[in-house]
Amino acid sequence: MSELFSPDSLFHNAILGGLGVALLCSMLGVYLMLRRLVLIGVALPQASAAGIAAVFWLTGHGHGGGGGTHGLALAGSLGATFGALTLLIAGRRRAGQPAEWSVGALYAISAAATILFVALNPKGDIEMAGLLRGELLALTAADLRLIAIVLVAVGALFVAFRRDLLLASFDPEFARTIGRSPLRYDALLYFLIGGSIAVGVMTAGPLVVFGFLVLPALAALRIAPSLAIAFAISAAVAATSFLGGFQLAYSADLPAGPVCVAMAAAFWLVIAAIAHLRPHRRAAGLALLLAVLAVPLGCADLHARAAARNAAPLPRGTLPDLAGRTVVVLPAANATGQPLHVPSNLFWKDLPHAIGDPFAASAPTVPMLLQQRASAELARRGIAVAPPAAVLDALPHPPDEPLAAARAAALAGFPGPVLTGRLSRFTVTNDGLLLVRLELWLIDPASEKVIWSGAARRPVAVNAALTAQEVLLDAGGPIFAEAFGAL
Amino acid sequence: MDDALLRVEKADFGYDGRAVVRGASLVVHPDEFVVLLGSNGSGKTTLMRGLLGFLAPLAGRLERRAGLRIGYVPQRETLDPLFPLSAQDVVQQGAWRDLPFWRFTGTREKARARESLALCRASDFARRRYATLSGGQRQRVLLARALATDPELLLLDEPTAGVDPETERSLLDLLHELRAARGLAVWMVTHHIHSIAGRTDRTVVVEDGQVSAEASP
Repeated sequence: MSELFSPDSLFHNAILGGLGVALLCSMLGVYLMLRRLVLIGVALPQASAAGIAAVFWLTGHGHGGGGGTHGLALAGSLGATFGALTLLIAGRRRAGQPAEWSVGALYAISAAATILFVALNPKGDIEMAGLLRGELLALTAADLRLIAIVLVAVGALFVAFRRDLLLASFDPEFARTIGRSPLRYDALLYFLIGGSIAVGVMTAGPLVVFGFLVLPALAALRIAPSLAIAFAISAAVAATSFLGGFQLAYSADLPAGPVCVAMAAAFWLVIAAIAHLRPHRRAAGLALLLAVLAVPLGCADLHARAAARNAAPLPRGTLPDLAGRTVVVLPAANATGQPLHVPSNLFWKDLPHAIGDPFAASAPTVPMLLQQRASAELARRGIAVAPPAAVLDALPHPPDEPLAAARAAALAGFPGPVLTGRLSRFTVTNDGLLLVRLELWLIDPASEKVIWSGAARRPVAVNAALTAQEVLLDAGGPIFAEAFGAL
Repeated sequence: MDDALLRVEKADFGYDGRAVVRGASLVVHPDEFVVLLGSNGSGKTTLMRGLLGFLAPLAGRLERRAGLRIGYVPQRETLDPLFPLSAQDVVQQGAWRDLPFWRFTGTREKARARESLALCRASDFARRRYATLSGGQRQRVLLARALATDPELLLLDEPTAGVDPETERSLLDLLHELRAARGLAVWMVTHHIHSIAGRTDRTVVVEDGQVSAEASP
């Protein structure tokens, strides 16, 4: 658990961003439920998804495009959400027909448009997956800042105008008699809902946004004795569901969005069942206690199972029997002609490099991450390895030539066999394939002979990976399975 | 505008440019109990909305004394029981009139809400959820909320609809007590002529969009 949530985790941005979206949706969801606008909560995320699909189709971009792609997605999402919202409000004022009619039509049109735009886009398959599960794993520091700004702005407006929003929702006529304009505060509420949905869909996808708009609020309104407590319970359910769901998805290797939503649904069902059986206050306490206990216990169990599965030894493949000897894994020589730097998930860690600090620690590279992964893969095959960090500390710039690298390792105080290599290709194609060429040699420094060699040359599918870290996370296993002869 | 709180002269009120109430002329004085009487669809609620300022006159004039504070008691069915609000929470809304957005609800507002609840004899169920209260109790809570706005004119939209005769009588007693204690002008919409007979200063009859005022017997 701590590994997943540590500041250096690959999922750091995804967790913080997703948590921000979950909290935003849970706050606004209380008002959506109370004002019986739940259908808007379905239709607007779908309209937002259609907006993203339309912009990507028109510009030829895809979710994996990086850089300005997120700006385009945000523009599409905001444009479609506020466009749909304006049409709904204008239609409601003019026609005098039930709001559900227009909202239902909006949902049907948006869903169809999303599928059509995706079908028209040459990168359609990847697009569909990206749209449905959102961009959580590809969140950059800039995206995270945007979500933080939206969260703080929405939270501040919510707190500042809490009384006016409540009056405009609960009794608009009374609000007018004490000088509050319900129209103005309705517009504010719709603005907050629209903005949050647009950012949320771009970040986490329509499923997560709708799920967290509805389920935490439903759970909270079952037991909350007051509106303030309803907001607090909704936020707590959302945060716990998201963090627990993310941990569960990570442990069980399942898609994060649906698992988080399923977790929120489980909360709602537990709370609804207990609220049905017990009076309000006691139900609130008991349900929260059970949920708070159940989520970490369930996660811990699944995590333990996954850890046991990951810890199960793998066949040694073509590797020689190295019983009793500790292998030293060096970063492979970079022969790609590219720097292969891996940007940090934490923007402030890259800041010293950006401002030219000569004392800044060297940025991680793909060969360094491959070194860590190779060490872990050897360990899973029952082979003792020297800690990769200690090796890098002692030998930060090993020679590129394999034999010289082995000698340098021995001189640096590592007497065991040395695994070194050469990375001559590391390219991700537009079709989501990693083209890799990695040659590995295991050298006995005593005899200065190559006692084993292997290579990985097969393309690896990394469709779901959108950052260098994710590419390495997805591709590391197949690369070393091939190189160590387990394929 | 002499001592009148509100004056309407030959005013038309309606919706989408179509007048429902035509040529209404009325004066609201301080410390009077007036009943707006009429059958369903006669236009009395439209007139009430005009007095509240929700509908601008389509013709004629409506003058309110500067800074006039109106306490409004809506029909209790218009409020959504989904909201997790206690009776005290609802009454406190009345005390928000003069509260700027940067200030939290303080002891002064809470005290005003408690005082209003006590005046309406609703303190016993102040902590109960509004949605679980009976019709008569809800009416007392809404009345307390209107009082918490510190009004000079109290406008009530069918406060006795759907309550039993005993509750109706006690509500009317309460309104008379409040008027006497605070010098309030009370205007009340109803179509229960029998229950208010002899208990009002004036009765304003609205029939088919036409307004006629007459003295109470």
